[in-house]
Parts: sequence; C-alpha cells; structure tokens
Amino acid sequence: MLILKNVSKIYGNNKKAVDQLTLQIEKGEIIGFIGPNGAGKTTTIRMITGIIALTEGIIEINGKNITKEPVEAKKNFTFVPDHPTIFDAIKGIDYLNFIGDMHEVTIQHRKDRIEKYTKAFQIYDSLTQTINSYSHGMKQKLLISGALLPDPNLFILDEPMVGLDPHSAKILKDIMREHCEKGGTVFFSSHVLEVVENLCDRVAIIHRGKLIACDTPKNIKKNSSATLEEIFLEMTKDE
Amino acid sequence: MNKFLSLTKIQVIDFFSKYTQQLNVKNKYLGILVMFLPILLIFPATQMVLEIYNSFLAMGFPELTVTYMYIANTILMVVVSIPFIISVFFYSKDLRLIATLPVKEDTIVFSKLASVYIYLLAISSFFLGTAVVIYGTIGELNLSSLIVGIIALIISPLIPMIIATIIILPFMSVIGSGKRRNLMVVVGNMLLLGAIIVLQMLSSKIQLQPEELNNILLQEDGLLMVVGRRFPPSIWLTKMIQGSIVNGVLFIGLNVVLVLILKTFAKTVYSKALMKFNQEGDSIRGGKIYYKSRNKGLQMIKRHINIIISNPVFLMNTVLTIFMPILMFIIILFTGEIQGELLKSTVLFPYHVYIFSAIITTPAIIGSLSATVITREGKTFWETKVLPISARDNIKYRIYTTLIIKLVASLILGIMTIFIIPVNLQTVLVATVFCITSTLFFSSIDIVINIERPLLNWSNPTAAVKNNLNILLALLLRLVVGVIGYGLYKLIDGWEASVVMLVFSGLFIILYFISIYIVYGMYEEKFIDIAP
Repeated sequence: MLILKNVSKIYGNNKKAVDQLTLQIEKGEIIGFIGPNGAGKTTTIRMITGIIALTEGIIEINGKNITKEPVEAKKNFTFVPDHPTIFDAIKGIDYLNFIGDMHEVTIQHRKDRIEKYTKAFQIYDSLTQTINSYSHGMKQKLLISGALLPDPNLFILDEPMVGLDPHSAKILKDIMREHCEKGGTVFFSSHVLEVVENLCDRVAIIHRGKLIACDTPKNIKKNSSATLEEIFLEMTKDE
Repeated sequence: MNKFLSLTKIQVIDFFSKYTQQLNVKNKYLGILVMFLPILLIFPATQMVLEIYNSFLAMGFPELTVTYMYIANTILMVVVSIPFIISVFFYSKDLRLIATLPVKEDTIVFSKLASVYIYLLAISSFFLGTAVVIYGTIGELNLSSLIVGIIALIISPLIPMIIATIIILPFMSVIGSGKRRNLMVVVGNMLLLGAIIVLQMLSSKIQLQPEELNNILLQEDGLLMVVGRRFPPSIWLTKMIQGSIVNGVLFIGLNVVLVLILKTFAKTVYSKALMKFNQEGDSIRGGKIYYKSRNKGLQMIKRHINIIISNPVFLMNTVLTIFMPILMFIIILFTGEIQGELLKSTVLFPYHVYIFSAIITTPAIIGSLSATVITREGKTFWETKVLPISARDNIKYRIYTTLIIKLVASLILGIMTIFIIPVNLQTVLVATVFCITSTLFFSSIDIVINIERPLLNWSNPTAAVKNNLNILLALLLRLVVGVIGYGLYKLIDGWEASVVMLVFSGLFIILYFISIYIVYGMYEEKFIDIAP
C-alpha cells in the first residue's frame, strides 16, 4: 500500500532531515511511526502526502508515485496533520462538503459517513457553526471526520491523539482498528508509546532521519519484559 | 533592555522580516538591491513634487510645496493607517501572547504602533521627504531648512497615526461586537474612510471671490493661510522650516500633546476596545446540515474568495485598492472640484476611450491579488496540497479567482462611469477588450511573484497583503509595462484612439500567452516545492 524507497530530504540549509529511508507497509496494516523530536517524522509524513517534495528516492501509494502521479496517488489517502490549522471562517458542514467534493464522495455516502463520524465524535450538532468557534479538540475531530469521509485506502495521521479527550481518543483508536480490519491501512506518528504498543501491528522508529527499526512491538522488545518506552529510550539515546 | 524597547524591537523585527522574508540571502548584493527596491518609487514622486514646486515658485511661494505635500501626505497617512491599525491591533496573532506579559497597556499600544509608524514614515519620505529635499536644495542650498525639514519628516507620521488610533480603536469596539462583526468592521470602516475623504474635500474647497484672492496674494503669508487654514499644523510646519522658532514649538508641541493624550487613554483604549473585541466571537450559527455536491473548481474558487471575504483586512485592502481611485474621483465630482459638464464636453470626446479604458482597467492595474493569493492562505496552504487536484489546477483556480474579482469590479466601475461620461458603444467595446486582455495578463503573471515569495507564516493580515515585497514587485512590473507602453504610444502618436487601444490589447494578448507559458511551464514545479 505504501512504499518508501531510499527517501531523503535535504533542506536549504543542507540539513538532512530524512536519510535514505526505506519502508514498506502492507494493506490492512496499522503502523506506528515514532521518534524523538526533530527525528524526521513530520518531514517523512509531509513527503508522503505531497506537501513537500522529496530530495531523492521514491514514494508509492497503492502503486502510484507521489511525484510523478500526484493526483492519482492523493486519491488513495487522506491526512490529518499534527495541528488543526484549517481555513476556519466556514461552517463545519461546509468543510466536510468541500472535502467530499474534492474526493468525489457521493451524496448518500457523504451523508452516511458524516453522520457516523461526527456523531461518534459528538460534533454533529456543531456542524452548522463556523469552525473558528470550535475548540482545538473539536477542530481535530472535524479534521479526522473529514479525513475518514472518503473512506481512504490509506489513512495518514500526524500526532492524532494531541488535543483529543480520552473518550474521543478511544473512539479514534477503535476507528483506526476497524479501518484496518476492513482492509484499509493506517500510518500514524505518535509520542504516546503506550498507544503505539497496544494498537499497532508494526512500529517504525526513526532517529536522526534514519529508520533504525521496523518490526512488531513484540520483536522490537525482543521478548524482554521491558516496555516499548524503555526500549525506545535505549535505542534513541545519544551516545 | 527596557520593556517598551524590547517589545517594540520584536514588532519592528517582525515588520521587516515579513518584508524581507525569502530574499536570496546567499546573494548578498541581490538581497540588498531588492531590499531597496521601493526607493525606485522616489522617481515618480520627485517628478510630481518638482512640478508642484515649479508651480508655486512661479507664484512666488516655493515654500507652499512643503505645505501642500504635508497636507496631502497627512490625509493619505490617515487613510492608509486605518486598515493597518486594525490589522496590528485586532487581527494580530501575537495579541494573546502580549496580553499575558507583565507590561503596562500604554507600552503595548505604543509598541504595536511602532510598525505602523515605520510604514507611514516610508510613505511620508516619498512625498513630504521629497518636498523637503527639493525645497531645501533647489536654487540655493538652505541647510537649516533641510535639517529642520528632516526633523519634521520624522515627526510627521505621529499626528495622522495618533488621530487614526484615537478614532479607530473606540470605533472598532462599537462596530466589532455581536454577530457578523467582520462584515460590520468592513462596512463601518469603509463608511468612516468615505466620511474622512468627503470632509477633507469639503473643507479644502477654496471658495473665494477673485478680488479676495488678489488681496490674499498681496499679503506675505496670504496664500499659506488659505492653503493651510483648515489644518494649522501645516502652517506651523512651513514656518518652522522657514526658521520660525515659535511655529516650531507649536508644531512639535502638538505632536507631544497628542502622544500624551494617547498615553493617558491607552489603558481605556486597551481594555474597552482591544480586549472587548477579542472576547467577542464571530461565529455564525444556524442553517441546516446539507449534503450538496459541487464542481471541484467552483469549490476551490469559492474557498479563495471566502479567504478574502472572511478577513476584514484582506477585504478592505481588496476593495480599497480596486475602488479607491474611482471613489476619490466620484467624491471629487460630488464635492464640485471637477464639474460634471467638463467630462461631458465635446473637447474630451476623442479621449473618452482612454478615460473609460483607464477607469475600468483600474482593478487590474492597481489590484495585485494574484501576487498574494498563496500568502493569504497562510498556514492553511497545506490543505489544498494534500487534495487530489493537480498543481496546475491548484494554480489555475487561484488565477481564476483573481480574474473573477477584478472583472466584476471592472463591470461595476464601467456601469458607474457610463452615468458620468457619455460613451458610445464602440468606446465600450474597445475599452472592454483592453480591460479583459490586460486583466488576463496581470492576473496570470502576478502569481509568479507569489510562487517565488510565498510568505505563509505571517503574524498579522497586513503583513500578508501589504507589508511585503510582493506588492511592490507587482507595482514595479506595472511601472515597467507602463513605461514601455508609453514609449510605444509615442511611436504611434497620431493614430486614432480606438486603434491605439486595440493595438495595446493585441500586445496584452501576446503577453498573456507568454505569462501562461511562464506560470505553467516554468513555475509549476516551483509551486509544488512550496513548503508550508
């Protein structure tokens, strides 16, 4: 579903944010992407989603190259960023219809899914209000609902739990799991290692732009009694 | 460092960083050159001031150049400072941080005004500064006049800035409460601006009998008193530059008094206007949840139009830049400065096509909406980048948005002008072709500027649409096109006006196709590389 081959990103100041990253995610998998601050998680996600260009390497989403066939590639995923910065002078329902139009979601499908997710996140009654009156958490829930609306093959989230109350975080985790069970794929970054450990089929760890591990939580822990947090801290500590 | 200086320093750094952001820092000299690009505007300003100087010199009162430019400059500064003050005070993203700092209210108010002051000083330098230099250097060098003039120039933004602040802050607390406050802010401020211009026009009308005028001209300061009678600081300033200490004390004293008044009321202004405004929400509730399918392109255009409409600073800036010259024209007609009969005169008939074309093409010439179409989106630019639309379409819908706004504005201006100037069908058709072709060209080529300089992280909306080099580059482009156009016009001097306009329309079509090649052929990749 998602293939990254020797992907690198060098910024203008010659800083190598991502270095020869190779990763393959299969259909139906739920992958947690973890790493310390500044490790290159957000840069990687921004390259996958086409927000920034790759310096080198190849990214394919469902067989479509994000650089060569961006529109076809983008039809296969939706994205929730780490901060709900969206154009907020419109109503919540306007935003969802906008996303629906861009992803060519049919009216019936749109109605069903908007109701399903906005009711689950308890923002359905606020959809007729302008987004600038929403709290941080409500904006996050609206973004997640919008990203789920087209029923994407690949669901990409950057720090999705930030700003969510425990009830909504639980709903999101259930939705992510349900999405994978139906054949979809989830790729998300997080600093909440407990969530990653309990939810993910595999965990990818990035440090200083390089992928240092990608395996099941069990294998990463090498069957030891240590928690993923302890292993993560050990793997990413500076010499 | 002193709290006021520290806070002001941050505001000033922010002001300049928005202006210089994304200059080619690797090329030091190019960076410096681009930084000083606005100085080019000094050439047309000098030309204008020289003509005014020669007129007053012929009358024997060259000092009136300073008086006249000071009055015009003050009015201009009041008008342009209103949207700027609204932007830095009411729509600035740093207010929540500043409000939590342990500093006095007047410190916040004055530090916020620092960037407004710099902006106004730049404007003042072009007009009053040029007048001071010309008056102090042409003929015999008058060093003391020059030095006092430069001091006056530095002080000059204070009166308009403080007057505008004292008017606008309480005004905003009244119009900015309740539902649809953004709409109220725009409508309220447009009315306020209109009122200021009408008042100025009415108060400056010289209604003197010829005999009276002769008597005044015979007095030493007679004409100065007439020109400056409605605005005494202009008389004090002129006499101060001529060496009068008393008038110097009066002029500087007035500025000091105004600063003290603002300082006294700063706490009230801050708590009653600024904090109140920020407590109010602009949420619109109501309506039904609907599920409606729309075309992708329409949705994108709607989004870009909404971005302008939803932000009062963007909307006011758009409306002002597109309509203000024409509003001024209509107000001048209304106040009787220009007689309507003059425009209907048969003498002007051969020039109607030029006049009508110029009026309806104003939105394309003055408005540079495409040069800020990416910047206006700011941090929300990422949204359209992850959607399944091509970069080409993403650029195209931005250009279409500019085209729609400008052509609608041109249509409105055209309809209004038909009631003022009697134009025939041929004139309308020729002018329409010229308007459409020039609008197509400028709307397309301007976006190249924004792709080169996409400032996405701005702290207040003025930084997005006014205080950045994109606008100046767009104006520079128009200046270059204008100069070349004027040269061509001189070459084909004597041709019929309609033919001349059609030739220019043809040239704009060629330029449009070149701009299309540049935008989609050379800048599409660069657009993809823009990193939010």
